[in-house]
Amino acid sequence: MTLTAAPRIHPRLRRRELGLLVIAGLALAVGSMTLELTRRLAAGDEVATEPGLPFANPAALAIYLGAVFAAHAILVLTGRRTDEVLLPTVGLLGGISLLLMERLPQDLAGGLGLGTTQLVWLTTSIAVITAIAAFIRSDAWLRLYKYTWAAFGVGLLLLTFVLGREVNGQRLTLAIGPFSGQPSELLKVILVVFLAGYLSENRALLVEQSTRLGPIRLPPLPYLAPMVAMWAIALSVVVFQRDLGAALLFFAVFLLLLYVTTGRASFVALGLVAFAAGGAVLYEIVPHVRTRVDIWLDPFATASGAGYQVVQALHAFARGGILGTGLGAGLPEVGSLPPGGIPALHTDFPLAALGEEMGLIGVMAILGLYLVVIERGLRIAASAADDFRAILAAGLSLVIGVQAFIIAAGVLKLIPLTGITLPFISYGGSSLLTNGLVVGLLIALSDRGVGPPPPPTAQRGLRRVFDRGAA
Amino acid sequence: MTLWSSLGGSAQSNAAREPARRPGIGTTLGRIGLAMSVAFGALAAGAGYWQVFQASELSSAPDDAAVIAASRRVVRGEITDRDGERLAWSVEDENGEPYRVYLSRSLSGVVGYASRTYGTAGLERAFDAELSGVTAADPVQDLLKKFRADPSDPQALRTTLVASLQQAAVGALGDDSGAVVMADPRTGEVLVLASTPIYDASAIADPATSTATFQALAADDVGRPLLPRATQGRYVPGSVFKIVTAIAALGSGAVDATTTFEQQPAAEEDGLLVSGFRIRDGHHPRTGTRALDFIEATEVSCNIWYALAGLETGGDRLVDWAGQLGFGAALPFDLPTAVSQVTGGDGPAPGGFLDDVELANAAFGQGETFVTPLQMALATSAVANDGVIMRPHLALAFSGKAGTTTISPEEWRRVMPARIADQITAAMVEAVNGDLGVGYTTGAQAPGLTVAGKSGTAELGGEGEPNSWFIGFAPADDPQVVIAVVVEHGGRGAARAAPIAGSLLAAWKAWAGQ
Amino acid sequence: MDPVVLSIWILRLVFLALLYWFLWTVVRILLRDLRAAAREPGAELGRLLVLASPGGEPAVGAAFSLDAVTTLGRDVNNTIVVDDEFASGSHAVLTYRGRAWYVEDLGSTNGTFVNGQPVDGIAAIGFGDELQLGNVRLRLERARR
Repeated sequence: MTLTAAPRIHPRLRRRELGLLVIAGLALAVGSMTLELTRRLAAGDEVATEPGLPFANPAALAIYLGAVFAAHAILVLTGRRTDEVLLPTVGLLGGISLLLMERLPQDLAGGLGLGTTQLVWLTTSIAVITAIAAFIRSDAWLRLYKYTWAAFGVGLLLLTFVLGREVNGQRLTLAIGPFSGQPSELLKVILVVFLAGYLSENRALLVEQSTRLGPIRLPPLPYLAPMVAMWAIALSVVVFQRDLGAALLFFAVFLLLLYVTTGRASFVALGLVAFAAGGAVLYEIVPHVRTRVDIWLDPFATASGAGYQVVQALHAFARGGILGTGLGAGLPEVGSLPPGGIPALHTDFPLAALGEEMGLIGVMAILGLYLVVIERGLRIAASAADDFRAILAAGLSLVIGVQAFIIAAGVLKLIPLTGITLPFISYGGSSLLTNGLVVGLLIALSDRGVGPPPPPTAQRGLRRVFDRGAA
Repeated sequence: MTLWSSLGGSAQSNAAREPARRPGIGTTLGRIGLAMSVAFGALAAGAGYWQVFQASELSSAPDDAAVIAASRRVVRGEITDRDGERLAWSVEDENGEPYRVYLSRSLSGVVGYASRTYGTAGLERAFDAELSGVTAADPVQDLLKKFRADPSDPQALRTTLVASLQQAAVGALGDDSGAVVMADPRTGEVLVLASTPIYDASAIADPATSTATFQALAADDVGRPLLPRATQGRYVPGSVFKIVTAIAALGSGAVDATTTFEQQPAAEEDGLLVSGFRIRDGHHPRTGTRALDFIEATEVSCNIWYALAGLETGGDRLVDWAGQLGFGAALPFDLPTAVSQVTGGDGPAPGGFLDDVELANAAFGQGETFVTPLQMALATSAVANDGVIMRPHLALAFSGKAGTTTISPEEWRRVMPARIADQITAAMVEAVNGDLGVGYTTGAQAPGLTVAGKSGTAELGGEGEPNSWFIGFAPADDPQVVIAVVVEHGGRGAARAAPIAGSLLAAWKAWAGQ
Repeated sequence: MDPVVLSIWILRLVFLALLYWFLWTVVRILLRDLRAAAREPGAELGRLLVLASPGGEPAVGAAFSLDAVTTLGRDVNNTIVVDDEFASGSHAVLTYRGRAWYVEDLGSTNGTFVNGQPVDGIAAIGFGDELQLGNVRLRLERARR
C-alpha cells in the first residue's frame, strides 16, 4: 500500500473531507434542533421560555461529532493519500442513526438506553475506522492466509450454531462472558477476504478456461469447487439458523465478485438459475421461507398476524408522504411505546421510521448516501494496484451496498423481508463494528502512495534514458 | 505449489495472449456500478410508490396506526342524517375523555360503533380518518392542515339517511331477521340501510358497559346481530332475480317483450323437461292454456317462462349482464359489501354453470344464486333510472374548520337502453297492480302512489320457510325511490316483504311530501 | 400560522436541503475524479506480468497494475511481494516519471537484472523488457484498457 521505507509522518490537509464533515455536522445539528422543538411542541411547553439549548441531547451530538472530527484530525496527521468521501458519508449516516435512536422510546434496549448505547457503538465504530484507515498499511495478512481465514469463519459459524443463544428462533448470537455479538456479521467480511484471495490468484484460469456442459460454460471445476464448497457450507448453516438475509447477501456478493473477476455474464446467469431453483425447493420444504414469501406477496391478507410488521411499515411510509411528518413527529409518539407501532423498529425497520419522518425526499437522500459508499468503493477497486486489492475493495463495498439494498427492498415490499441490519443506521453493536471494519479497510485500500519521488540523479541512468525511449 | 508451476506453463501461454474478448476488471466494475445505481433507482421508485402513489389510501385506512391513535384522543365529528338530525355524537365521561352516543338502535347496522376497546364498525369505521380528523375530505385542506399548530380537524359527516324511515324499517321487520334498503335511483343516495336483529351501539361505545355488551353480542351465533345484512347478507333471491334475468334476456336480444314459448302452458301441468330433469312451476299461474309473453309472465311470476328465457339467453350472457349490474365483485360502496353471485362458477357449462338445469333454475332465482339486498336494490335502480345505475353512497357532505365538502352523485354503470328499462317497468307495474299480480304482491301498494315491483319466495330446499323478498320503485312514471326488502324465513313474498315495502313506501311519501 | 410550527417547518426543509448539498458536493468530487482519470490515459500506467516464479508468490501469469511508484521485495510491506529466497527484503523500486519507466535497485544482495543485464543504481526500462529479481522474472507491459 505504501513505500516500505519507514513511513514518515507527513501531515496532509484533507480539505474535501473537512468540507463534507462541516456540511454533515450542520445537517445533524439542524436535525437535532428539529427534534427538540418538535418534542417541546408536543409536550405543550412554552417553547420560548424553556431553558437549555434547543438541541435534543446536545451532549450526545457533541460527543459524536467530536469523535468524527477527531478521526479526521488523525487521518490528517498520518498523512496518507486516502479517500476523503467515505468517512463523512458514513459519519452522516451514523449521525442520522443517532438522531433516530434519540427519538425512539429509550427502553427498546436494555442497559443504558437506546440512544446512549448506539452512541457508544457508533463512536467505537468510528475509532475502528480510524485505526484501520490510519495505521494498517499492508494487506499481506489478508492476502496470504485465505484458507486460514476461511477455516476460522466456518469454525465461528459452527460454534454459534452449537453454543449460540436463541432469539426469535434464530441462533445468531454468540455470548462470551459479558460480550455478545452476531458472528454472521463478521463472516461476511471473512468471506469477501477469502474470495478476493482465491479469485485473484486463480483469475487467469477462471477467465480463460471453462468446463463445457453442453452449451453452457461453467467455471473450471477444480478451481470453483473449494469456493463453492465453502460458500455452500456457510449458506446451509445460515439457512438452518434461519438467517435468510445473510444467506442472500453471501450469495449475491459471491456472484457479483465472480462476475467482477471473470467478466463472464454466463456465470452470473447460471448462478441466478441455481438461486431460483434452490429458492423454489426451499419454499416447499422450509416453512419459514414459505411464510416469508407469502407475506411478501400479500401482507395485507394477514395484516393482523404474520404480515403485521410489513403492513405497519408500509403505513409508516404512506404517512410520510413526500416531505415526511418531521423528525420526532411520526409514530411512535415521542417517548412512549408504540400503540400500533412496528416491532423491532430500531433494528429491522429504521428505514420505515425515517421514511415516515423524512418523507420520500429524505429516503432518497439516504439511498443516495449508500450509493455514494458503493460507488466510492468500486472506484477504489478500479484504481487498485492489483487484482487482489481490486476484488477485495469491490467485495467490501458490495457487502455494504447489497446489504443496504436487501433490507431496504424488503421493507418496501420489493423482495421478501429478511432480518438483516441497515448498515450504520440500524441499532446493533456487531453490525456497527463490522461495517466500521469494512469502511476502514476500504479507506486503507484507497491509499495512493505519497506522491512521485524526486527525479534520479545518476548520470548513467540519464544516458540510458535517451537510448531507450520508453512508453 | 508444484502443481501451480507445472500448470504455470500453460497458464503463461494462455495469459500471454491478450484475452481481448473478456472484459477487464475495470469494465466489470463499471458495469456493477451501473447495476447498483439501477438497483437503488428501483428502490427510490418503490419508495415513491408507497409514499406518493398509495399514500392517501393507506394513511386514511381504518387500521392505520395514526388513525387509531387519533381516534382515541380526539373528539370525533358528529354524524347526522340528511335533514340534520344527529345520529351519533360524543360526550365526556368523568375523566373528561370522549365516548360515543347513538340516537337509536335502528342505526346499528349502518352507523356502527366507535369504541375504545373494540375499535370501529359501520360508517364510524369507514370514515374513521375523517371523523377523527386525521385526514380532511378535501385534499387541498389536507395539505394546508399541516401548517396549523393543531392540525387535527375532525369532520362532521352528513349522511344520506333518513332517521325516521330507518326506524320505521326496523320496526316493520320486527322480530324477524332481514334487511331493508331504500335509495334514490336518480342520485344513488341511500335513504335506509336497515338490518335486523339490531343491537345497542351506545352500550358498546360506553366504556362502562362495552365489554359485557360486546361479548354477549359476539357470542350470539343464532341471531348474529353484528352482521350487517343489508350489505353483507347473502340470500337465495327467488323470483326477484327474474328482474336480472329480464335485463339480460331483453338487453341481449335473446327474447323481446312479445316472446312466447309454446311449450310453456303444457309445462305448467307436467313440468318443463330440461336435460332429463323436470322443472316445475312452484305455483300454477292460473292462466289456462295461454302462452304468456314477458309482461304477463312477470305479473304471475311464471318460472317456466323465465327458465326458457334463461336458456335462450345462455349462461355466459346471463353472467355477463349480471356482472354489469355488479354481480361477481364487491360493490363500490362506502361500507364493505359481500359479493353476489349468479352461480358458483366452477361448472363446465358456459358462464360457469354446472349444466342447463342449473341455468334454468338460476333464471328464476334458485340454484346457486346468492344476492345481497344492496345488490338487488342496484339492479332495481337500473330499471328505475332508465338503465343507468348511480354509484350508491351514504356520505352526503363533510364539514370541518375549513368549510364543507359535498359529495356529488356519480354515474356508475350504463346497463341498458331506456326503452328496455321502460318495458321492464311496465312488467313490474303489472306485477304489483295487475289483477293477477296483486295476489303475489299483496300489500305492496301504497295509497296515492303507483308502485312497480316484484315479489319473491326463495325456496331454501328444506331448511325452513322460504325467504320473503320484495323489490320495487315508486312512482312508476317518475321513479324517486327504490326499495329492496328481505325477511329471513318470512314465507311467501306477499306474506311479509311486500306489505313491509308498501308501508315503507307510504312512509316515504309522507316524508318526501309527495 | 403558528410561529413555532413555521420554524419547525423551516428547519425540516433546511435539514433536507443540507443532506442534498452533501450529496451534491460528493457528486462534484466524483465527477472531478472521473475527469482527472480520463485525462491521464487510464489510472493504470502499465502492467507487470509474472513470467516465472518458482516460489509461487507472486503467482505465475498474474498481472499487476502499476502506479507511479511500485516497490518490489520479499518484505510484506512491498507493493509487490516477491517471495523468493534470492530476493532481498527491499529489493527494487519501479517508478514512472516524465512518461518513462525506471527501475532502481535498492541495494539488494543478489542484484536486479533488466534483460539479463545487471542494474547499477537506476536504469530505464521499457515495455517488453524483462525484469529479474532472484529467480522471479517479470515483464513490463503496456496498460490494458
